[in-house]
Amino acid sequence: MREPHIRCARDIFPKCDKILGVFGVKRIARVVIWVVVAILGAGALAKIAFDRGESLNAMWFVIAALCCYLVAYRLYSAFVAARLLALDDTRATPSERKDDGRDFVPTNKWVLFGHHFAAIAGPGPLVGPTLAAQFGYLPGTLWLIAGAAFAGCVQDFIILFCSIRRDGKSIGQMAREEVSKRSGFIAQLAVLAILVILLGVVALVVVNALKSSPWATFTLAMTIPIALLVGVYLRFVRPGRVLEASLMGVALILFVVVAGQWVADSPSWARVFTLGGIPLAFALMVYAFAASALPVWLLLAPRDYLSAFIKAGAIFALAAGILFVRPHVLMPPLTRFIDGSGPVFAGKIFPFCFITIACGAISGFHSLISSGTTPKMILRESHARFIGYGAMLLESFVGVMAMVAACAMTPGVYFAINSPPSIVGATPDAAAATISGWGFPLTAQTMAGLAHAVGEQTLWNRAGGAPSLAVGMAQIFSNTIGGERLLSIWYHFAIMFEALFILTVLDAGTRVGRFMVQELGGRVWKPFARTGWMPSILASSAIIVGLWGYFLYQGVVDPLGGINSLWPLFGISNQLLAAVALVVATTILLKMGRTRWIWVTLLPMAWLVIITMTASYQKIFDANPRIGFLAFANALTAQIAAGKIPAAKLVETQRLIFNQRLDAAVTAILALMVIVLIVEALVQWYGILSSQRQPLLHESPYVPTQWAEGFSGVAQGDD
Amino acid sequence: MQIASKNIKRFARIFWRGLREWCGDAAYERYLRSLNAQQCPTKPALTAEEFYVEQLTRRYSRPNRCC
Repeated sequence: MREPHIRCARDIFPKCDKILGVFGVKRIARVVIWVVVAILGAGALAKIAFDRGESLNAMWFVIAALCCYLVAYRLYSAFVAARLLALDDTRATPSERKDDGRDFVPTNKWVLFGHHFAAIAGPGPLVGPTLAAQFGYLPGTLWLIAGAAFAGCVQDFIILFCSIRRDGKSIGQMAREEVSKRSGFIAQLAVLAILVILLGVVALVVVNALKSSPWATFTLAMTIPIALLVGVYLRFVRPGRVLEASLMGVALILFVVVAGQWVADSPSWARVFTLGGIPLAFALMVYAFAASALPVWLLLAPRDYLSAFIKAGAIFALAAGILFVRPHVLMPPLTRFIDGSGPVFAGKIFPFCFITIACGAISGFHSLISSGTTPKMILRESHARFIGYGAMLLESFVGVMAMVAACAMTPGVYFAINSPPSIVGATPDAAAATISGWGFPLTAQTMAGLAHAVGEQTLWNRAGGAPSLAVGMAQIFSNTIGGERLLSIWYHFAIMFEALFILTVLDAGTRVGRFMVQELGGRVWKPFARTGWMPSILASSAIIVGLWGYFLYQGVVDPLGGINSLWPLFGISNQLLAAVALVVATTILLKMGRTRWIWVTLLPMAWLVIITMTASYQKIFDANPRIGFLAFANALTAQIAAGKIPAAKLVETQRLIFNQRLDAAVTAILALMVIVLIVEALVQWYGILSSQRQPLLHESPYVPTQWAEGFSGVAQGDD
Repeated sequence: MQIASKNIKRFARIFWRGLREWCGDAAYERYLRSLNAQQCPTKPALTAEEFYVEQLTRRYSRPNRCC
């Protein structure tokens, strides 16, 4: 029973009075809450890291990730915003000064967060963690959380800030102005190179997902006429009514996901939509060429709308499914493949785990978005923290969910889906025996049963991450709604979701690449730069499709599965671009006189340079033919010299040798470009730090904001 | 009860407005508002159809989708 004279805590602890007087009750309560969140996050991380039980509940991953993100956002991003960047809300942003209702549009921070997240979240955070699951769940999960908090979010946030202060200039323009002209050109070339490799790799992921699957191929093919229908509706029937048209399109897509089963069950129709890797690769090239050259309202934009809605829905559904089902993670924390002998891709945990998971931890490509549309729409400088840092945290969470989905399936099934036959064996029995020999029990019947349950002919050799993620997602979804009966529908929904927005990256990327080719070509022959001139449109579209199409074709015919060579190449180029972005950010911060806190960008930059240069060196020169491009080329040359290659396969093998040497050359050129850029930046930094050079910032002049303090953009709403 | 229903309505209105802005439904209205806010607009306003096509062409000529 409560003593009547005790009224509150102050009566029990009179000394607290003084403390409460200084800090305030609310403030102490806030501190206590944050300490609890931090302890909870640390506890969940410790559970993930040190638990060696049979299986671990996925909720530990969710708790660890969410608590770490909350603490990182509350403390680290606030520190970066206040100390390093000194965000200034009294300064008018480009959207206020240049408001034209088109490019420069003041936008509510929640709406812009949605825009920014939809732009940065592509297939990378889903595929990368799924592939890196071959090392076990621990390294990938830790890198996703720590990489995002200390590198990826910091990059997105600071580049966004730098671009806001420069009227929304791109990363290439900022490199040219703040580092040197040569750096700007290198950054531009690096962007084009990464775009080509990216498009080739993501197209390969789609090919591997659709190969020999009439259901999935039909569903994806039908999204093209649906997108055309939506495009015509939005152009002629109800111009600009995106919401109603997209909902109509999404309903049609969900219908064709179900209808795909009827196609797969019909022998004559199934034959039409059962395609091998090479025909699918050419179909994708034709599609991307058409989407790039056709008017954007007809195919590209409506497909993007549909993809955005399905993406948002599927990610939300996956999060809800994981929370509802709370699956157990069956993959061990570390597998034997940390030694570099992995079947999905070869290479040791360092540096290849950090290369494989690019998006989700840090992605250089994000710097293009952070210095593209978003800075032109931001309402206040302080919103950059929520949008730049916060959206990347959410993308990292998507990566953690993908890791959970991949690790929640039986490890044997995971390796069966993702391993090429040249590693595990050509027949189901041989492959099952190899995988069981690694310590992951599996039978050929299990795989046959699973393939039947998800409505596929086979699930063997489907490297690329998409099918294994789809199996993981389908198991989570079917445990939430429908059970075993709906497993095949959920599987094909997941495949459609992944393929649909990979295709969106493919067509939008091809179009942007077309503009880059036109701009570069215009330096040689001016008429080529005219973006509305049909011969230039066709030629530049053909060039960009030809470039990434070559990488795609090379991946499809690669006996090691393609992903083994191309995904690390993509990871290296993406991380190199991140290093470029951090070099530019560091240079700008040094010019701003923020030398004391420069480690915020310098340390992630140094880490990225170390991992990318190590990975580049190993991919080029490693003696293991599964890792080193040159070693593989030499091994094939030796086989030809020894007469071990049959005459019928001679041309194919020689092409393979050429491809390996090409990959080595591309990796070396990318690494060299970044080294040149870093040297240029080091010269700049030395000049600034030794006071030999007067730092010249290219910021827009300060203009005070005219908006009231509480203005959030909502007042501009239309109701 | 009345307060709760008022809050729900307010939240639904804000959500609806945010959704329309996010997906682009409100882009033309925003453009007209911006044009009206200018003291002396240099060009006549585009029609909804012209604005839609022009906006898409601009949006898809720079990187707007990531990996």
